[in-house]
Amino acid sequence: MVETLVLIEHDRRQVKRPSLHAITLAQQLGGEYALLVLGHGLDEIAASLVSYGAAAVIVADDPALAEPLADRYATVIAEVARKRGTKTLLGTSSTFSKDVLPRAAALLDAPMVTDVLAIEEMDGSIAYRRPINAGSMLATVKVEGDRRVLTARATAFEAPAANVAVCPTERFLFDAASLPNGVQFISREQRASERPDLTESRVVVSGGRPLRDPETFERLVGGLADALGGAVGATRAAVDAGMAPNDYQIGQTGKVVAPELYIALGISGAIQHLAGIKDSRIIVAINKDPDAPIFQIATYGLVGDLHQIVPQLIESIRRG
Amino acid sequence: MTQGQSVEKILVPFKSVPDPYAGAAASTSKSVINPFDEIAIEEALQIRERGEATEIVGVTIGAPAVDEQIRAALAMGIDRAVRIDDARALDPYAVARILRALVEKESPQVVIMGKQAVDDDSNQVGQMLAGLLGWPQATFVSKIEFLENKTRARCTRETDGGLEIVAINLPAIITTDLRLNEPRYVSLPGLMKARRKPIETLTCEQLGVTVRPMTTTLSTSSPTRRAAGTRVGSVEELMAKLKQEAKVL
Amino acid sequence: MDFAWSEQQRELLDAVGRFASKQLDYDVIANDRDAVFNHDAWKKCGEFGIHGLPVPAEYGGLGMDPLTTVAALERLGYACKDNGLLFSINAHMWTAIIPVLSNGTEAQKKKYLPGLCNGTLIGGNAMSEPNSGSDAFSLSTTAVKKGSTYILNGSKIFVTNGPIADLLVVFVTMDKARGADGLCAFLVEKDSPGLDVSKKIEKMGVRTSPMAEVFFTDCAVPEENLLGKEGAGSFMFTKSMTWERGCILASAVGSMQRLLETSIRYAKERRQGGQSIGKFQRVADKIVNMKLRVQSARHMLYHCAWLRGQREPVYMEAAMAKLHISDCWVKCCEDAIQIRGGYGFMVEYEVERELRDAIGSKLYSGTSEIQRSIIASWLGL
Ligand SMILES: Cc1cc2nc3c(=O)[nH]c(=O)nc-3n(C[C@H](O)[C@H](O)[C@H](O)COP(=O)(O)OP(=O)(O)OC[C@H]3O[C@@H](n4cnc5c(N)ncnc54)[C@H](O)[C@@H]3O)c2cc1C
Ligand SMILES: Cc1cc2nc3c(=O)[nH]c(=O)nc-3n(C[C@H](O)[C@H](O)[C@H](O)COP(=O)(O)OP(=O)(O)OC[C@H]3O[C@@H](n4cnc5c(N)ncnc54)[C@H](O)[C@@H]3O)c2cc1C
Repeated sequence: MVETLVLIEHDRRQVKRPSLHAITLAQQLGGEYALLVLGHGLDEIAASLVSYGAAAVIVADDPALAEPLADRYATVIAEVARKRGTKTLLGTSSTFSKDVLPRAAALLDAPMVTDVLAIEEMDGSIAYRRPINAGSMLATVKVEGDRRVLTARATAFEAPAANVAVCPTERFLFDAASLPNGVQFISREQRASERPDLTESRVVVSGGRPLRDPETFERLVGGLADALGGAVGATRAAVDAGMAPNDYQIGQTGKVVAPELYIALGISGAIQHLAGIKDSRIIVAINKDPDAPIFQIATYGLVGDLHQIVPQLIESIRRG
Repeated sequence: MTQGQSVEKILVPFKSVPDPYAGAAASTSKSVINPFDEIAIEEALQIRERGEATEIVGVTIGAPAVDEQIRAALAMGIDRAVRIDDARALDPYAVARILRALVEKESPQVVIMGKQAVDDDSNQVGQMLAGLLGWPQATFVSKIEFLENKTRARCTRETDGGLEIVAINLPAIITTDLRLNEPRYVSLPGLMKARRKPIETLTCEQLGVTVRPMTTTLSTSSPTRRAAGTRVGSVEELMAKLKQEAKVL
Repeated sequence: MDFAWSEQQRELLDAVGRFASKQLDYDVIANDRDAVFNHDAWKKCGEFGIHGLPVPAEYGGLGMDPLTTVAALERLGYACKDNGLLFSINAHMWTAIIPVLSNGTEAQKKKYLPGLCNGTLIGGNAMSEPNSGSDAFSLSTTAVKKGSTYILNGSKIFVTNGPIADLLVVFVTMDKARGADGLCAFLVEKDSPGLDVSKKIEKMGVRTSPMAEVFFTDCAVPEENLLGKEGAGSFMFTKSMTWERGCILASAVGSMQRLLETSIRYAKERRQGGQSIGKFQRVADKIVNMKLRVQSARHMLYHCAWLRGQREPVYMEAAMAKLHISDCWVKCCEDAIQIRGGYGFMVEYEVERELRDAIGSKLYSGTSEIQRSIIASWLGL
């Protein structure tokens, strides 16, 4: 029996680093935990997971799982959880886990808590703290029943340390022919980006509505990000206006980031956006409106026109 | 399964939430339809207007106070609405189980709903409902096209890594992302007409489901606010702070 | 008198508020500077149902009572800063839709009202002339009947919506010697031969509401476009004028409420001499005065509308409402500027525009002096 089963994400070539952060929550929960990875052709990925203190790395490797289709994945995940007597099924908050895990929860007849930030002891049982209302409030919730599903916010848990001990890798065998067949993968638009991944980058530079068009956005936001070796993000307003692709969106309904340095260019600071950046260590805001709400949470605020300031900033960084 | 030219029925579950546009300063917070659900309603309306669906049924769970949001949905143009009378603080799994009972009663070919409610931010119900029904799901969808005589739908999904396209067999659950469409506003003539449309009220008992929420909120608190920072007067000063004080450069 | 809203009224008013704050809260500074009319917002308002509020459903409206109608327009004025758009809507409703609704033949109502209600047709009213303003009935544009048409000659000035109007309600005389009894009105469509519309007239305020001069040179109007009867012009004008006076400033009450709220916020936030300026009695007094004005203006607006809903005559009440609200509006704007100090004088702070917009309200639909004359005459003086 493994108390906790941690779902690990990968992009076929390698493990997605933020998905490892859930391991830290598994360690905090106590008891044995196993890592679960699904897909096809997983040998290398599985091998990279053996030193995170787990009891085992469970691998569901089959051509039927080549694409992350929710109906199939949830079925296999639920089956593993049931067979292993798992009490807590855990993943890191991402569009992948949010697609698959609630479905698995239903199959396991278990309640689910999304976006766990921390756990607390309460009267001998565990309570989970999570953000609600675009992060403007924190709720402490408890769940009943002997099984539960959680997703952990990567930004709220450290990356786990790898150690020397190596755990076994187990292949989970299942009947691929009996998997659901209701969803067919057609295509994926993968942009090759030279820049670091938004949720992993040490530096994130984001732009808002006044960036006007994709060219200006790329020149100023992209230019500053490149000068700093950082990733590029955007507000919903900027994405909706077509300046930046959808997956650049940061906030309540986009990505949550917590870099060392977050630079907000022409961003007003709506709570829906702040929900995604609040845990950044240093926030720099450049905005021409001295009363913009972003200044209330910025570590350093500079009032002025970004079209003038950003080129100067890039220049200054390049000079070193 | 429909064999005809159009999907017979689309079910749109929606939730009433405090107005997210009101801002923290608003003293009296009004309730509105959850923005993602509003997008789901709009999508259903557009599908019907293209002649690809016949009937749109809305459903919400709540006390009579949510009738105002139901009328707003009727005013947007859904054909009829069901309110499941339950004033308890339900968790997503309880909601999904109640909705399953309604889906079994109404037998829609497609359920379109918001990917998350902006008060609770759980992002669970659609996927759970799909799991309970054993139906295919397409989540975080920004484009829907029906295929092959409405036996399948092609959906574009917004994922962390970019856009993904899948085809799903109907009946299925689709959850909406922000960029699927721009919801129409409720017009006054629509609102007047909505008063004449039926709102059916059902209890869980009548639906034959007994659910008890398994998640309880023990307390809520305000997150610790970041300390207000400092203003800098120039690019030079900013660079100096980042290097010497924050040590991030 | 009962101003407690029914559930239906509250729902409708909330819907108006939500619509206006989502769809009409756009930037007005540039449009005001360049005198640009927002066609898109106009269309939205029509589709949403504003224009047809007081019009029965059979003609494409909502059949709302006068009180609900003015309360809805107040909500619109609260959320929408484009006073010019609101002025154009008001002119359209009270000086075009109401005359057609009250005096039109069944055929005229069926032909024009649905379009006027849903935003596809824009209406205007041409009464004032270069030589007849306050003394409106001394107008000199003429109409002569020729077979089945009337031939119009003359010119009109200050026609709100003139440059964009599809339909004008035009007052003319058929017999100057009979004075007020010689007047009648026509519905003139925009492409009528012999109708010329000048280019936009630049104004001090409500600059986003276009205005023009209109010229008639042997302009032929078919007889079915006679509005009401020959000779009934002055009666129709007086009657629809009471609607106009009683309702045209409903949105101004909303604008005053907004000014009050933003002024309170400013007075709390702005610090001078170590305290927020709202703590200075002389500043607080201004805000108290604003509050009194908003409240009294709202009561006069509602009272007049409620009386009308009871089918009581409102000649004096409408004049009082118009006089009082316009006065209050201008004073509120002055206070709002004064409270903001030098900032209030700057375009970016958007209260100087409000003052420019408000001042016209003492002129159109009868100057303040004329309203006083009306009140005095009803008091038997
Ligand atoms: C249900 C819901 C979910 C949402 N989810 C998200 C989300 O996940 N992420 C998100 O970002 N938003 C989200 N939003 C939208 C959010 O409410 C805001 O509308 C959005 O964040 C605003 O983006 P912005 O700051 O780019 O634009 P604006 O609010 O328009 O701000 C632009 C800022 O740029 C400044 N500026 C203008 N010109 C210049 C210049 N030349 N130089 C410097 N500064 C300048 C202005 O002063 C202003 O402060 C959501 C909204 C809702 C209702
Ligand atoms: C923004 C705006 C929009 C307008 N829109 C329209 C429109 O759509 N259609 C239309 O037909 N007209 C419109 N008008 C014209 C408006 O109705 C007239 O300006 C108004 O009736 C006054 O006429 P006048 O300008 O000729 O001034 P005058 O009548 O020349 O008045 C000049 C001054 O003398 C005073 N005065 C005049 N007679 C008397 C009296 N008997 N007793 C005491 N004092 C008196 C006036 O009060 C005023 O102070 C509009 C005006 C404005 C400012």
